[in-house]
Amino acid sequence: MTDTGMETLTEPYYEALKRGELVVQHCKACNRNIMYPRHLCPFCYETDLSWVLSSGRGVLHSYAVQRLGPPSGFEDDLPYAVGVVKLDDGVQLLGRLWPDPDGEWSGYSCDGRVEFHGADAVEIGRRPVPWFRRAG
Amino acid sequence: MPDSDPASGAATASALPGRGSPEEAVFIGLGELPSGRYPDRPFMGQLVHAAVAAVRDAGLTVPDIDTILLIPCLHSFADQADLIFSRLVEELGLHGRAKSSFMLHSGGSTSDNTIRSAAGLIASGHARNVLVVQSEKWGSAPVGEMIDMLTANGIPREWEKLSGLTFNAVGALITCRYMAASGSTAADMASVCVALREWSRLNPNAMYRDRTLTVEEILNSKMVTDPLHALECPMLADGAVAFVMTSAGNARRAGRDAWVRIAGSGGCVSHYSIGQEADLAVLGWEKAGVDAYEQAGWGPQEADLAEVYDSYAAVLTSGLEGLGLAPKHEAARMFASGEFSPGGRLPVNTNGGLLSAGHTGVGGGSALLAEGVRQLLGRADPSRQVAGATRAVCGGTGGTYMDSQVLLLEGVAR
Repeated sequence: MTDTGMETLTEPYYEALKRGELVVQHCKACNRNIMYPRHLCPFCYETDLSWVLSSGRGVLHSYAVQRLGPPSGFEDDLPYAVGVVKLDDGVQLLGRLWPDPDGEWSGYSCDGRVEFHGADAVEIGRRPVPWFRRAG
Repeated sequence: MPDSDPASGAATASALPGRGSPEEAVFIGLGELPSGRYPDRPFMGQLVHAAVAAVRDAGLTVPDIDTILLIPCLHSFADQADLIFSRLVEELGLHGRAKSSFMLHSGGSTSDNTIRSAAGLIASGHARNVLVVQSEKWGSAPVGEMIDMLTANGIPREWEKLSGLTFNAVGALITCRYMAASGSTAADMASVCVALREWSRLNPNAMYRDRTLTVEEILNSKMVTDPLHALECPMLADGAVAFVMTSAGNARRAGRDAWVRIAGSGGCVSHYSIGQEADLAVLGWEKAGVDAYEQAGWGPQEADLAEVYDSYAAVLTSGLEGLGLAPKHEAARMFASGEFSPGGRLPVNTNGGLLSAGHTGVGGGSALLAEGVRQLLGRADPSRQVAGATRAVCGGTGGTYMDSQVLLLEGVAR
């Protein structure tokens, strides 16, 4: 799934998702959060990097609902939504969005509040991605 | 002109040969094949036909070319390898004569970066007559394979690919943000595609040169990736484009009566992964434009036309706004009122753009740039030639719109 040697970065992140948690990378040298995880801090270039639990809260910068033309392997997921979330932790990332009870995403809007709400372990085992839902 | 600041590392206008200098690089020839689905046109055949057309158009012969800069193809790794390992040099009979043949690659902005590089080689005396050439077979390739190829490249495989992100979703993320920020309606966005279709119907080389398009047809077409309808997504096309560049001194000596110079350029790489873009409705256009206009010594209000990357409508509207060619948040509504259509205030994407001339992969940006050069040489079809055009703003962007590259072109008549 990933390049040889990338596990140092991917495994702690994926393992947290499997526990139902969202973590972000943190540089202990300059005290800044980093996403996506890097090999060295892109702000101060030090390598003293750790992981911190994210608040999971943020605003939805934009989103898209895929209805046709998925990549191979995603045919049975249709329709599904992806969104770019700006976390209150000062970092941003792309994730999946839970549909509203009607199976659609019309309740979502740009700059609306969202919160991390992880998928179950089976889904995360299949595809370790963060999932978000609307928040009040 | 700002004082030169060695610490900044930025190129300034003073580092370039000035307007009228015999060393400065200029465009003197173009070649282009029609875009669309042409299964009987092989990749290398397209390449040599476009190349020879451009060389003849420049008033040169093929052996006059000493340097070939290759625009990459995306449909086949084997054809890409042929390019990298100089197959074109041999196909053109230049083996034993050509000084160098190589490829630069930044996706859809490649032609802008390649032209800048060619200009530097010419101005510094490292190259004399440069052929820049592109060929793509996207229109004949299986669509499903191309979707998987695009999903596997330019989208971080560890952090985003697993979410099912597609390139249409990338376009949709930009469109959704642009619509929210600007208050543009679905009909406003569709009108961008309609204006491009009006232009492509004047371009005999366009994929959609015969078929009309209306806002109603677009809004009634299937939703592919909200908010993008099927008729707002680019159609993959086969195509080929070539440019010949030399120095202004060579152009004059060769008896050319008109050429096109590069007045200024700017660029900004604003992200790699779409999830890291600070503002999906802005991208890197503003910074790119400021630098380019400063180098050129003229501004957007003095442009006669614009040719800006448009694989989705919102990519073009953000580009026009960032480059000062439309007030912020107004570009889509200005398309709806016809300001960028044939006969409008500012001609934009006069070949029909990627959305209606055809998306020839990396070549989509090359075709827009070729159209800018063509217009400034006064050699577009009369129905779409912009009368008296001397200044063009050309913009390209690659990957998930990771960079915004701008070339400001000026036509020069002897």
